[in-house]
Amino acid sequence: MQKNMNTKINKYDLILIIILLLLTFLSLIFIYKKDKKYKYAYVYYENKLVKKIDLNKDKNYTVKGYNGMVKLVVKNKKIKVSEEKSPKHLCSKRGYISHSYEQIICLPNKIVVEIKTVDNIDTVVK
Amino acid sequence: MHNIINKIIGIIIVVLIFLLGIIVVSNTYLKKREYSKKFFYMDTYIYVKIYSNNSKKAKKILNEVEGIYKEYHQLTDRYKSYNNVKNIYYIKNNKSNDEYIEIDKKLYDVIEYGLKYKEKTNGLIDIEMGNVIDVWKSYRDMLGGLPSDSELKLANLNKKEIVLKNNKILNNHPNIDLGVIAKGYTTQIVGEYLEKKHIKEYLINAGGNVLVGKNINKKEYTIGIENPDVENDIFDIVKCHNMAVVTSGGYQRYYEYNGKRYSHIISPKTLYPTNYMKSVTVITKNSAYADILSTYLYLLPIEDGIKYVDKLKGVEAIWYTNDGKIKYSSNAKKYEYKN
Repeated sequence: MQKNMNTKINKYDLILIIILLLLTFLSLIFIYKKDKKYKYAYVYYENKLVKKIDLNKDKNYTVKGYNGMVKLVVKNKKIKVSEEKSPKHLCSKRGYISHSYEQIICLPNKIVVEIKTVDNIDTVVK
Repeated sequence: MHNIINKIIGIIIVVLIFLLGIIVVSNTYLKKREYSKKFFYMDTYIYVKIYSNNSKKAKKILNEVEGIYKEYHQLTDRYKSYNNVKNIYYIKNNKSNDEYIEIDKKLYDVIEYGLKYKEKTNGLIDIEMGNVIDVWKSYRDMLGGLPSDSELKLANLNKKEIVLKNNKILNNHPNIDLGVIAKGYTTQIVGEYLEKKHIKEYLINAGGNVLVGKNINKKEYTIGIENPDVENDIFDIVKCHNMAVVTSGGYQRYYEYNGKRYSHIISPKTLYPTNYMKSVTVITKNSAYADILSTYLYLLPIEDGIKYVDKLKGVEAIWYTNDGKIKYSSNAKKYEYKN
């Protein structure tokens, strides 16, 4: 009796197994699929990631730069540096960025702001 | 009969579970992940991204890459001396009485590479121009006035010829300027280093010098070319892999005087900045060559540049004219990205 139970697989077992296998494959697909709404700004100090900012929410942030505090503003899925201490203020003059190929580079403050999103341009030459 | 079917189903299930296991394991252990590093050398922001399945190895390689940029940064630095580094500052300010002085083999190779192009470009690529560049820089730094003709001509007259011999350089204090090749040359060295370490998928952007390897997800990389007229905008997108894409332009680094812009690229012929275009982008395999060529094309009228590029093999270029038009060399459109 017990031997029979171990070796015989009926129709329903088979269906169950197939469903389980399908579910596993589907979950794998979901794990590796990118989120379409994914849009973040990564703020680096030198090579260190100091802040990950969700661009879907309008908010103000502050991070520490080489010369002092650097203020960031998020509005309409765009980000800009609004205040910082540097001789020419090039990075607060740069204005809003929103594409993955755009960056804000504050050389005096050693701050880099990058956008991570599902965009299709890898880099920009200038 | 029943037994056989059961056995077959059993085997299939075992095989499927085994395959699933392989997928999960390979995704966690063998899947290549992105590793990147950013640093500031050669007066520019440098970004390097590689793909590897070995995080320890990847981090080590990125540190090595930073080391390469740092080393070449010091070797090609005109303004500063470093401990135990025989750089071009050391060459210019050498106090010994030796007829020839020994220099680092790596620096020797950069200088040799640069000199090679002097003849090929009719003297438009000239790494002996340090004196003239210094005059322009002094006015840029003061933020006032323009150098006079006689001042520039005198500086040019005083230039010393570079003479190389068996890893040594003639001790005549040449004022070398490697600005036209340093970034592209070093980026090429880094690309070759990555290939040697079996890193095939990479992207390097060293201040307008882009070098890409293979792409991990798609066939090609997409590289935007910045619009000289509109900030935060690109005017064209290039798609390629295993290629260098380098832009030279007067719009990024320039000096403004009396409402007129003077770019940082000085023609060795006129000793003044040229104004034939807003930018030119070169697409070719070798990053060092691309760097030199983009400067050369920037110093040539566009029509001459198109003729020149069309005679070369494996080189294409895209010009952005002063009135905002785009010009292509005859096969450049094969790199055009269509959305």
